Amino acid sequence: MNMKKKGTSLLVSLATVSLVLAACGGGNKSGGNDASKDNGKENVDKSLFPIETSNDKDAIKGGTLNVALVSDSAFKGIFSQEFNDDAYDSKIFQFNVEPLYTYDDNFAITNDGPTEVKFDEKAKTATITIKDGVKWSDGEALKAEDIAYTYEVVGHKDYDGVRYDETFKNIVGMEAYHEGTAKTISGITIKDDQTVVIEYQEVSPAMLNAGGGIWSGVLPKHNLKDVPVKEMAASDQIRKNPVTLGPFKVSNIVAGESVEFVPNEHYYKGKPKLDKVVLKRIPSDSIVASLKAGEYDVALSMPTDIYKSYEDLENTTILGREELSYTYIGFKLGTLDKEKGEVVTDPKAKMADVKLRQAMAYAVNNDEVGEAFYSGLRQNATTLIPPAFAGYHDKDLKGYTQDIDKANELLDEAGYKDVNGDGIREDKDGKPFEINFASMSGGEVAEPLAQYYIQCWEEVGLKVVLSTGRLIEFNSFYDKVKADDKDIDIFQAAWSVGTDPTPTGLYGRDSEFNFSRFATKDLDKLLKDITSEKSFDEEYRVKAFTAWQEYMAEELPVIPTLYRYETLPVSNRVKNLDWHYGATQWQNVELTAETTEK
Amino acid sequence: MWKTVLRRVLFMIPQLFILSILIFALAKLMPGDPFTGLITPDTDPKTIEALREAAGLNDSILVQYGRWITNAFKGDFGVSYTHKIAVSSIIGQRAGNTVFLSLFTIIMTYVIALPVGLLAGRYQNSIFDKIVVIYNYISYAVPTFVLGLVILFLFGYQLQWFPTSGSVDVGVTSGTFAYFMNKLYHLILPGLTGAILGTATTIQYLRNEVIDAKQQDFVKTARSKGVPVSKVYSRHIFRNSMLPITSNIGMELVALISGSIFIETIFAYPGIGQLFIQSIGSRDYSVITALVMLFGVITLIGTLVSDILMSVVDPRIRLD
Repeated sequence: MNMKKKGTSLLVSLATVSLVLAACGGGNKSGGNDASKDNGKENVDKSLFPIETSNDKDAIKGGTLNVALVSDSAFKGIFSQEFNDDAYDSKIFQFNVEPLYTYDDNFAITNDGPTEVKFDEKAKTATITIKDGVKWSDGEALKAEDIAYTYEVVGHKDYDGVRYDETFKNIVGMEAYHEGTAKTISGITIKDDQTVVIEYQEVSPAMLNAGGGIWSGVLPKHNLKDVPVKEMAASDQIRKNPVTLGPFKVSNIVAGESVEFVPNEHYYKGKPKLDKVVLKRIPSDSIVASLKAGEYDVALSMPTDIYKSYEDLENTTILGREELSYTYIGFKLGTLDKEKGEVVTDPKAKMADVKLRQAMAYAVNNDEVGEAFYSGLRQNATTLIPPAFAGYHDKDLKGYTQDIDKANELLDEAGYKDVNGDGIREDKDGKPFEINFASMSGGEVAEPLAQYYIQCWEEVGLKVVLSTGRLIEFNSFYDKVKADDKDIDIFQAAWSVGTDPTPTGLYGRDSEFNFSRFATKDLDKLLKDITSEKSFDEEYRVKAFTAWQEYMAEELPVIPTLYRYETLPVSNRVKNLDWHYGATQWQNVELTAETTEK
Repeated sequence: MWKTVLRRVLFMIPQLFILSILIFALAKLMPGDPFTGLITPDTDPKTIEALREAAGLNDSILVQYGRWITNAFKGDFGVSYTHKIAVSSIIGQRAGNTVFLSLFTIIMTYVIALPVGLLAGRYQNSIFDKIVVIYNYISYAVPTFVLGLVILFLFGYQLQWFPTSGSVDVGVTSGTFAYFMNKLYHLILPGLTGAILGTATTIQYLRNEVIDAKQQDFVKTARSKGVPVSKVYSRHIFRNSMLPITSNIGMELVALISGSIFIETIFAYPGIGQLFIQSIGSRDYSVITALVMLFGVITLIGTLVSDILMSVVDPRIRLD
């Protein structure tokens, strides 16, 4: 069973396509899980960028923080984790929506948020206890019934968001409620005003992770109870004057353009220091000029492909961190049996020889790709767990770096030889051998990057051509890849993994998203180990992750190609902004000058 | 004339019907659907499938079309898949902005172009005329986005006279005079960009018409009767020169609604043009079809209005 939650998505460079990203913004960085701390991020190279501001000037009283949201289209403005499916909206509501729990630097749930989460793996329950004095932005107390109500909304048959998935169905009695055969969800019990117990059918260690199975959102029942679930996403209670738990609350909205936030005086961690936050949508063409002119203090979702144009701005500090995503090149090794919902690996597939796959990985230089195409903001990926998951990313795996001799050697061994002397290798039977490569259009580097890979492979004698003869538009690309199109042997794509690194959803035997269609008994076992009961022991879990990463690096159904950095330009007058995942505390952020430098 | 108008209006119905079939089929033929972009490895594919089923996307295209056209007749264009609000309200939000911007642009265009075109024609080959001709060539040649960026950079960032993005400041109470003025303030740069581009055509038409008309017999007759020069221009030539401009008004009306993707993008101005492109990208069928139908209706009405106006301006043209 897939015990993960959303937060993973197809990454695209097309701004027009809506994506689902993790909705677990905000929260507190803290001690939490000790075992994971030992493997913690102290060891990870963060030298490329600072990750928090180092402004030590005296703060002014109050002030307005001007925030830019870089996007080429108007934002949607759905201010709720339950109804949102858009990365831009979740960047906006980080100021006013606060999740129920916080997480540490390994994304494990911690208890520094508005509630305490106690997970009992034996009883298969999670007990959520609301701390004293936690209030909604309208002054009402956060109650246990709000949490229960949230599940009733997401599980409702009229609910039209994307959150009702396996993790919700995993709650005892949820499906009966969803189908209308039960009035309430039997697995959710309100113990008292401040305590809710949720009972699950199955538990997995992934549930200890933020976004791993315990829903982090909460809706104000007193405010929403008269709104039919069908109309909720469109209602003013969600879009215009949402009642939320976060440090700020919405005071004004111009649809699709800008949002004004004022401090939430009922915020349980104390009133924020700023007087106001004004967020505006800015197109990528003018964001650099705007920063230069001192119009903004923070630029959210800053494009990295124009990094060169803003790296030296004098009035701005660039914060950076590793994204929870990676680019990869996948090999088609089988098909999906739609009826059984199972991957069927074909031992006779064109790319079935592991040496061929390894040779193709040795043929390319991804560090060079990162430097040349992405100004160094992308780097050679070594494993399928991005380094941001410091505890689970296998640092000892070196991955594949360019080694042309080794690539040639492997191909010779595998029997791909050039029999007619034209510089291109034929297949094992001496017949012409051509590999079809599918790559997505979008962005300026898409074409040169695809051509670069094709050239690299030609150097080792492999003839690779673009499927359909050109780059493929995002929707068609995934249509073809999903349908195991005969014209695709290899494909370049990206995954954004949310705050839960469990790989079953991407590489499991019964996962539709296992686009390589690679499944073996060994892999089944390794994946099962990661989500097994034994993995509730952190040390065991880390080992299970390592074993899986090593296996995938050896068998190479996909070549991880690039890790990505994301950047956050911050003006020099901003103080106390920490951009570690889950550590940003907007209520603590201050300004040290009346106006932004130019 | 009213008979003709009625006939034309009735004839729109089959035209729009055919348009609706075409656009519906074309929209569905695009690869992907509104849920493709929502795929996450952890959203159970079954969840997405359930959403697809609930949205009726698994029905045959005929069934979907039947459902859509029935609702459309009742004035219900459905709910946007991406924005999750009624199509009419999302289009309403954007259309307000677009109409406001286009009206402003058109007014500015005519305020500049009418006197300039008339004077350039009247004083043909003067220094003023030569400057106007050069200006025309340049504004014809410059692409919208280049001009937009230059104007934005100069007046927005360098001189900082005008706001650089949006249609209104957040926090201004809607409905007040200050709100209106604030909107107007935000309109100046995008409006100016549109106007500079729009003036080229209008000036060119007017100038040529004036030059033509000057040679006409009725002008010579008027002059020989002793009508003062200024009166000849304001009465005889002006009205004649307005003919091509009038025939253009229908198309202006279309532009009024359909917006400009370039100007909207550069000035972060949320209008219809962007909404349209964005909806195509995200396969937001309900918005795409509603917008194309809207454009269709406006285009048909626009040409009709043009024809009516033409017959008013030029008595030689009869509608029937």
